[in-house]
Amino acid sequence: MKIRTTTSWTRWHTLFAGAALIILSNAIALSGVAVNRSGEPESRSMLRERELVLPYGGDRQAENSGLALRLNWRILDADDEYPDYGYSTYGARPAWLDATRMAALGFHITSGKVTPEAREHFVRQLPRQVLVVLEFEGPAWRQAVERARTSTARHAAAAAANPGSQEFAKKAKASRDGLSLEETHASRLFAIDAGLDAKALRARYPDRSRHLMLRGTVRPTVRQHDEQYRLAGYLSEIIIDQVNVPFALRPLLEPLRDIGRPAPTERTPRYQVQIAIGQRLEPWIESLSAP
Amino acid sequence: MSEHARDLPARRQAQQRADDIRVFQAELARLEAEGILLLDEDKRRTLTAHHESLLAAFTRDYDIDRDSRTRQISLGMRVASFLGALALAASVFFLFYQFWGRFPETMQLAILISSALASLGLTVWLQGRDASGYFSKLAALIAFACFVLNITMIGQIFNITPSDKALLPWAAMAFLLAYACDLRLLLTAGILCVIAFVSARVGTWSGVYWLNAGERPENFFAAAALLLAMPCLTVHRHYPGFAAIYRVFGLLTAFVPMLILGHWGRASYLDLGPELIEGGYQLLGFTGSALAIWIGTRREWPETVNTGMTFFVLFLYTKFYDWWWEVMPKSLFFLVLGLSAVLILLILKQLRGVIGHSEGESLP
Repeated sequence: MKIRTTTSWTRWHTLFAGAALIILSNAIALSGVAVNRSGEPESRSMLRERELVLPYGGDRQAENSGLALRLNWRILDADDEYPDYGYSTYGARPAWLDATRMAALGFHITSGKVTPEAREHFVRQLPRQVLVVLEFEGPAWRQAVERARTSTARHAAAAAANPGSQEFAKKAKASRDGLSLEETHASRLFAIDAGLDAKALRARYPDRSRHLMLRGTVRPTVRQHDEQYRLAGYLSEIIIDQVNVPFALRPLLEPLRDIGRPAPTERTPRYQVQIAIGQRLEPWIESLSAP
Repeated sequence: MSEHARDLPARRQAQQRADDIRVFQAELARLEAEGILLLDEDKRRTLTAHHESLLAAFTRDYDIDRDSRTRQISLGMRVASFLGALALAASVFFLFYQFWGRFPETMQLAILISSALASLGLTVWLQGRDASGYFSKLAALIAFACFVLNITMIGQIFNITPSDKALLPWAAMAFLLAYACDLRLLLTAGILCVIAFVSARVGTWSGVYWLNAGERPENFFAAAALLLAMPCLTVHRHYPGFAAIYRVFGLLTAFVPMLILGHWGRASYLDLGPELIEGGYQLLGFTGSALAIWIGTRREWPETVNTGMTFFVLFLYTKFYDWWWEVMPKSLFFLVLGLSAVLILLILKQLRGVIGHSEGESLP
């Protein structure tokens, strides 16, 4: 006994439609990769272990045989006492991301005094995708080192002026360790600007080996200092901050994978990575070698 | 066996016919016992033989449940198939993660694409041989998991910027397999992909980063309208339950944002005072859920009535909480809740009476 149905869709239709969908989706994704990697990269730089770090170990990594290096970017905070220990990859409030820059990024700013209503209106806005300029081993990093030196000198002087004080001695040691970390281990990759127009940003930062451009997100925030409020921005993330290590380049990193990050006393870097950023501002690793 | 012999609409119709035969036989036995209808021996024999022949053919061709015992076993098989599919889909994910790093990129790509194609092929192959449909449904879920893994991993291998556009092929694959295998779980997956995509798109129109679009609940209203319109735009006669799933998710996508905005006006796009926004959305929530109950009752959509009723009660109870939780003794507060439930019962009873009366009048 056969039931008659009006549908003309057969399982062969399902097979062909499904296969076409799989092939088409893969083709679109891979053509995007080809476009990104075509021609001369938008920027290319040789970064070290300080800027591209191995993942932490643990259970999460135990069942993942893939390997990706994390882009370790930082910002120079307006407050020079603000310690970031060289690892500020979980969002930050850079000094340069002020109200004017936020307006240029498309956020609505109420003119006039920063009233509670204006603050409320401003922070209610949602994050936007922007282009972030990352500077490698440039003035921002040198300023961070200079700040660490100044801080070390100040704490050393305070400890010398208070010879019996444990507290001053501890602060002086922490400051010395901070300077050592800054000089030898901390990332030299600083987010220094953001915009919406890639060409305009590249014209402002023409050095393609020092200034990398990547997509990130910015959220509005308010800075408070001495009862004064200022509208500002919070650089929430760099959207692609994990860069997959190609299979052919992995042998150098495999032995280091389970060791973890080097201690401040250890010699660094253990590897250097040539990273390229393509036409669609998506990064990839071109080469990986011992320094 | 022809291509259509084991197609799902036919199987559903065969099962429905078998159920009708069982009900008919039970009622006939009652009528005979009460002496109202007595068939002579010849007619009875002919009728019984016809039914037996039909049921045997349906069992052979469509593997239907002939009685309540086989129906119970089928329910168990459905649960086992669902849990097995979830476990196997998770296994596919973890298996790939465990070994993908040991292969070069071209091999990774080949594994991802071929596993998506092979699992799709397996689903279609099983569909032609598995009359019960349980194994083909299980394979369909694995095929969907393989396709999601395929696109996700290509993004990871080549450091592609995450995009809401990936939700579109996932939704297309989920709908394709859901309709091909009569699989409500994949229909739900497809609907969730559509909700995420439409809300993300609406959010990006105002410049918001797509992953943050969910922070403005109003972004979901366009998806709700689309889902509620879907059963009207397409015919679901051969897919019982599918139209109901669209309506339930359409209502959820409308009412959950209203419930949130009714208590958190700051999340709205509207540049008004939070209290005004909250009041407006509470009113909209009450009106919307009452409208859902009314339309559901008129159109005989029980899931619409139930969803509307659930949200009407939720809106009402959260309002009661706002008004009286702090000022009333707890005993009195819960008494008010209880009395309001009784009042709702009385109103619904009245409504049922009105509908029953009007249907009685409309009968010829």
